[in-house]
Amino acid sequence: MPSWATLLSQAFNGLALGSLLALVSSGLTIILGTLGVLNFAHGALFTVGAYAIFVAFQYTSSFFLAVAMGSVFMLVLGILLERVIVRLFYDRPHEDQILVTYGVGIVLVEVLRNVFGSHAQRVPVPSWGTGVTEMGFLMYPTYRLQLIGMVAAILLALYLILYRTSLGLVVRAGIENPGMVGILGIDVKRTFLVVFAVGCVAVGLAGMLYAPVVAVSPDMGATFMVQSFVVIVLGGLGSFPGAVVGGLIAGEIISITSAFNSAYSDVMLYGLMALVLVLRPQGLFGSEGRV
Amino acid sequence: MEFDRRRLVLGSIAGAAGSSLGLPALAQAPAKVGNFPEGVGADSVFVGLTIPLTGIFAADGQDEKLGYELAIAQINEGGDIAKAWGLKGKGVLGKQIRYRVADTEGKPNVAVQSATQFFQRDKAIMISGSVSSAEAIALAELANREKILYLVGVAGANEVTGKNCQRYSFRVQHNAFSGSKALAPVIAKSLGKNIKTAFLVPDYTYGHSVYESFARFSKEQGWTQVAKEMVPLGTSDYSSALLNIANSGADVFVNVAFGADAVASTKQAEQFGVLKRMKLAVPNLSGFQDKELGAEIMQGVYGTCEFWWSLADRNPLAKSFVESFVAKNKYHPRWAAHVGYTQAFLWALTVERAGSFNPIEVIKAYESSKANPYESTLGKIYFRAEDHQAVRPVAVLRGKAPAAMKGPEDFYDVIDLVAGEEVASPPDALGCKLGPV
Amino acid sequence: MTRNLPPALRAVLPETILVLVLVAAPLLLPPLGFSYDLLSRVLNWGLLGLGFDILFGLTGLLSFGQAAFYGVGGFVTAYLLVSGKVASVWLALAIGTAAAGLFGLFVGWLAVRRIGIYFTMITLAFAQMAYFIENSPLSDYTGGENGIAGVPQPKLGFGESALTISAGLPMYALLAVAFVIGFALARRIVMSPVGSILLAIRENTPRVAMLGHDVSAYKLAAFVIAALYAGLAGGMLGSFQSYMPPDAFSLETSGQLVVQTIVGGVGTLIGPLVGAAIWLWLRDNLQVIPGLGALWKLVLGIAFIGLVIWLRRGICGEIIHRMNKRREAAAVKAAQARTEAIELSEAGSAAGEPASEPAPVTVRDIVLPLAPPSRGSGDVALATSGLSRHYGGLKAVDDVSFEIRRGTIHAVIGPNGAGKSTLFKMLLDEVSPSAGEVRLFGERITGLGVTRTAQLGIAKSNQLNQLFPNLTVRQSLRVAALARSRGRMKLDLIRRSGSLPEVEAQVETVIDSLGLRERAETPAHILAYGEKRRLEIGMALATSPNVLLLDEPLAGMSPVERLATRDLIRSIAKSRTLVIVEHDLDAIFQLADRITVLYEGRLLADGSAEDVARNQAVQDAYLGGLHS
Repeated sequence: MPSWATLLSQAFNGLALGSLLALVSSGLTIILGTLGVLNFAHGALFTVGAYAIFVAFQYTSSFFLAVAMGSVFMLVLGILLERVIVRLFYDRPHEDQILVTYGVGIVLVEVLRNVFGSHAQRVPVPSWGTGVTEMGFLMYPTYRLQLIGMVAAILLALYLILYRTSLGLVVRAGIENPGMVGILGIDVKRTFLVVFAVGCVAVGLAGMLYAPVVAVSPDMGATFMVQSFVVIVLGGLGSFPGAVVGGLIAGEIISITSAFNSAYSDVMLYGLMALVLVLRPQGLFGSEGRV
Repeated sequence: MEFDRRRLVLGSIAGAAGSSLGLPALAQAPAKVGNFPEGVGADSVFVGLTIPLTGIFAADGQDEKLGYELAIAQINEGGDIAKAWGLKGKGVLGKQIRYRVADTEGKPNVAVQSATQFFQRDKAIMISGSVSSAEAIALAELANREKILYLVGVAGANEVTGKNCQRYSFRVQHNAFSGSKALAPVIAKSLGKNIKTAFLVPDYTYGHSVYESFARFSKEQGWTQVAKEMVPLGTSDYSSALLNIANSGADVFVNVAFGADAVASTKQAEQFGVLKRMKLAVPNLSGFQDKELGAEIMQGVYGTCEFWWSLADRNPLAKSFVESFVAKNKYHPRWAAHVGYTQAFLWALTVERAGSFNPIEVIKAYESSKANPYESTLGKIYFRAEDHQAVRPVAVLRGKAPAAMKGPEDFYDVIDLVAGEEVASPPDALGCKLGPV
Repeated sequence: MTRNLPPALRAVLPETILVLVLVAAPLLLPPLGFSYDLLSRVLNWGLLGLGFDILFGLTGLLSFGQAAFYGVGGFVTAYLLVSGKVASVWLALAIGTAAAGLFGLFVGWLAVRRIGIYFTMITLAFAQMAYFIENSPLSDYTGGENGIAGVPQPKLGFGESALTISAGLPMYALLAVAFVIGFALARRIVMSPVGSILLAIRENTPRVAMLGHDVSAYKLAAFVIAALYAGLAGGMLGSFQSYMPPDAFSLETSGQLVVQTIVGGVGTLIGPLVGAAIWLWLRDNLQVIPGLGALWKLVLGIAFIGLVIWLRRGICGEIIHRMNKRREAAAVKAAQARTEAIELSEAGSAAGEPASEPAPVTVRDIVLPLAPPSRGSGDVALATSGLSRHYGGLKAVDDVSFEIRRGTIHAVIGPNGAGKSTLFKMLLDEVSPSAGEVRLFGERITGLGVTRTAQLGIAKSNQLNQLFPNLTVRQSLRVAALARSRGRMKLDLIRRSGSLPEVEAQVETVIDSLGLRERAETPAHILAYGEKRRLEIGMALATSPNVLLLDEPLAGMSPVERLATRDLIRSIAKSRTLVIVEHDLDAIFQLADRITVLYEGRLLADGSAEDVARNQAVQDAYLGGLHS
């Protein structure tokens, strides 16, 4: 049995880990909720985000400027993908959507591999984020602490877009009743474009902010994608608050399990996912039958 | 119905050969073994390379591929370098080497699929390459069944020439056992005997193998283990494991993770302040770990490596290898390239020693190399007849401080080159039982 | 071409062609880069795909977790053989397959209750869990990420004379035999009653449940069948390459299966095989192109996106579709023309006055070959007591108690929003009441669920059509009749779907009574509106119910169709109890023996048609409610 201090620090770490998972998953869930598309290119888009900041940082040498440039790039990429490919699939079956986004994921990853090689690239921690912060019960990397704040700010911005704007109203109406939005004469296709692009930016931002922490390589996205599946199932498919809460729960599961035995953190995570699907399939914030 | 085509064919050929030549059956290798002799063309032979070019092992795979390609080009050309290795004329036994590279994506099943294609479609006479123990074990099994030579690429687990050793396979890379046995005393010499260690172990056979070996030899040095964190293969965020390690009060952080996992975990260990408080030891350094992490992090790291390019200063063959590699590929080779390069040259040498491409003759020549060691990039080395593991020196490295680097890729000092005999595992210690030819 | 063949041969035509192709493949394909090994792998994927196609193509359940069963079958087989616990490869294969089936039973039991992406996700979760368990806690048995090397090859015969089936052509032959048997079996399953029901489940799951089939059990059956195929394929994989790879368990295996199946053609059984052939061949041969190197995957990815965009049905699906289109184009066109003609004539008759009074009412006596379930002898067929349904604060139905006499036509009327449809749904437990209960011949049926109540003899035609759009009239009615003849669940996988005489007799009788004889082979979605309404009623009727509930059977019909349908209802009512919800009060007062009136969720009146017509409260309610 690990000590209380260990459990406490792992619980805190779970919060940090969970906030990132929440950001990674939020893009996936709003696209799923609004467009009804389960985006299998999600992991690849995360990777693209990480590479975007890697490139942008070399030119700007300013972390925030690089994030801004990277976000613009993700926005453009999202618009392109929606216009050229995803748009063709709104009236096709789920499995076709899954397949084409799966293909897009392969292409994105392989383009990165052929441009940058398979090696891990280095994105440094910004100068204001280096070092370790002493927090009494634990020492924690300063950048990761700042990360919690940055993620919270981005999630708040997403929340405001989704809940405090007319676009958000349409998006949420679309989640509740996709048919109705069309009947009301709202340009659904336009909404879809915006939501897909916003989803891409969200996951791209996750990739950018995470880049200084992880190894930036073409295959980095795969684990994140599968984990974000778990997160959105826990929270409820298509639910934004669900993704946030689901992310935190997943983070805590991974972290607390690690206090006992790290090797079991994945088994526990999928076990919980299976359990939720069996007992409360709609997740914490979802409603079944919609997707 | 022909349910066993090969057995029938083999039987009839052997019968025909026996009756026409009247040779005693046991004195000579069978006329037909695997793809021999049909795989030996008039002026060339085919070699299949199974290497991950995509997927998580792709960086090392690409390096390994360049190593093989360089060696094959040099062997085919038959120039000074080939002569220095001891080869005669152009190619192997006068035959040019044709080759193809198949992308295994790092998955054993795909590796087996690619290798079988080489065997059946291309009539390959030899197959080589891998960047994981799982691939190597799967390919060695296949090679044994099909009676075709398989030369292990990058694969560090003890099992490859231990429990899962095969008659038709040879490994030039040292195993986890040797690496750990070489590393532990060197660290002990500079850090002392009363050391507490914390391990980060990826949860797969390679990780377990390295951990067990290093734990054993560090214990022999009188060290105590205070933490052991097992993490799933392919983890991207190590924060929870690192928290436990940071709180363990250890003096040495032994990071067993490999490839991209090693990069991510080491980077995060630095961010958690672990590297400030502990010395980092890496029993088996990943190929591009230095460049991917940077000298800031890598300085002072202890580890072993199959090959480091500055060994060129100590050996003419290593020198010609590194120089020709840099000239061709514009970067310094890592040890995956070296494994590919040496395996190709050692095979060519062995075939010429055997005087035949017949795998059985070649295996015999490999197995008798102790009496007649090869002159290689690492000095004299040989393959043991008991488990087909190369007995070869192991380089112990220490990361250089950024200021001490003489070039952009001058990341390590070679602080010791431990003789192979000193660190080799006892041949029966790892459970190897070779099958018949 | 095929029409000239004798029927016995035509029945096994796909199998015959398959055998010919599989015999020709190793002779013709190797120059194109297909080695025996590659062909064998294609067959192995194809075998895995047969089960998956029954689950996904036939039943419409997209699993992203087939790797779990492929892996379980493979590792159980490999472990038993390598550890020496079982000597015979065949026995180990059987045990491995059974183990995969058992695991499928467990996962499926949890998964089949979920639909859509939830189903997909639950299979994915279990597969990932299986992968990590294989890799870590069970690595002493499975070899972890090294897998199990040295799996022996199967032997034919015993002792000294046994022939080992070695790699290359012999192994190809073995896999080909396994695939042909698997294919023939899968095709039998598709053509069995179970296959018909699974297809109907894909088309419209709630309706299948409403007809009295136990949807979960059938889905579970499909799931286990898929797991068994996967287990067998996994077991053969290890033996085939002397090595059981851990990647069998990985998410990519499940993903590749889905990709190959859709590229090859969903619902064609052969599609996964074709998809695998293309995928594996491209994979191998793109790499051979000089200079492509690691770019091969990028090229494959782009080609794949193109395939998904332009080949909607997959390769086999498109081929079958084009062949059928040529063959059936005329039939479909004729059916559509007929539909237009019917709709035109109705539009004409609706616009103008009916040209003449329709022919005198002919009430036929419909005698259904399948007997309804025997019930108690009481006079009261259906009774509710205190039946209520609340949605939050809204009382859709509030404390309604009434009785429906056996053998009567009983109408439930009321203004919009009176709670009629909710009440109806509670009568067969489609919606569970907040309070109160429903009794069928004195026996409580509330809480049994719609499938059980259907088996007890209640059927309902819905206000909005709940048809199987791509099934023909005959197929749709057959699915309904099968529910009566076979009960909630029966696993007759080998029997032909159209081979049950009493079911076929039932279908024919219902077709005639619906007047859909010439439309029997027309898919439901092509039918004219009125015909669809009649089919909706007919499907309920084909279950031989004791009590038939009709929810607005006349809604949206033209005057001519109304008359025809009214006659149909009278004919049906001759031998069973009928309950109708309808807005057409003229029709109601002509048809109904007794009438129950609902108003704002409460019972307003209940009595004979004359009593109700005179009831002041009813008149007020209708004046107030309808004419607003």
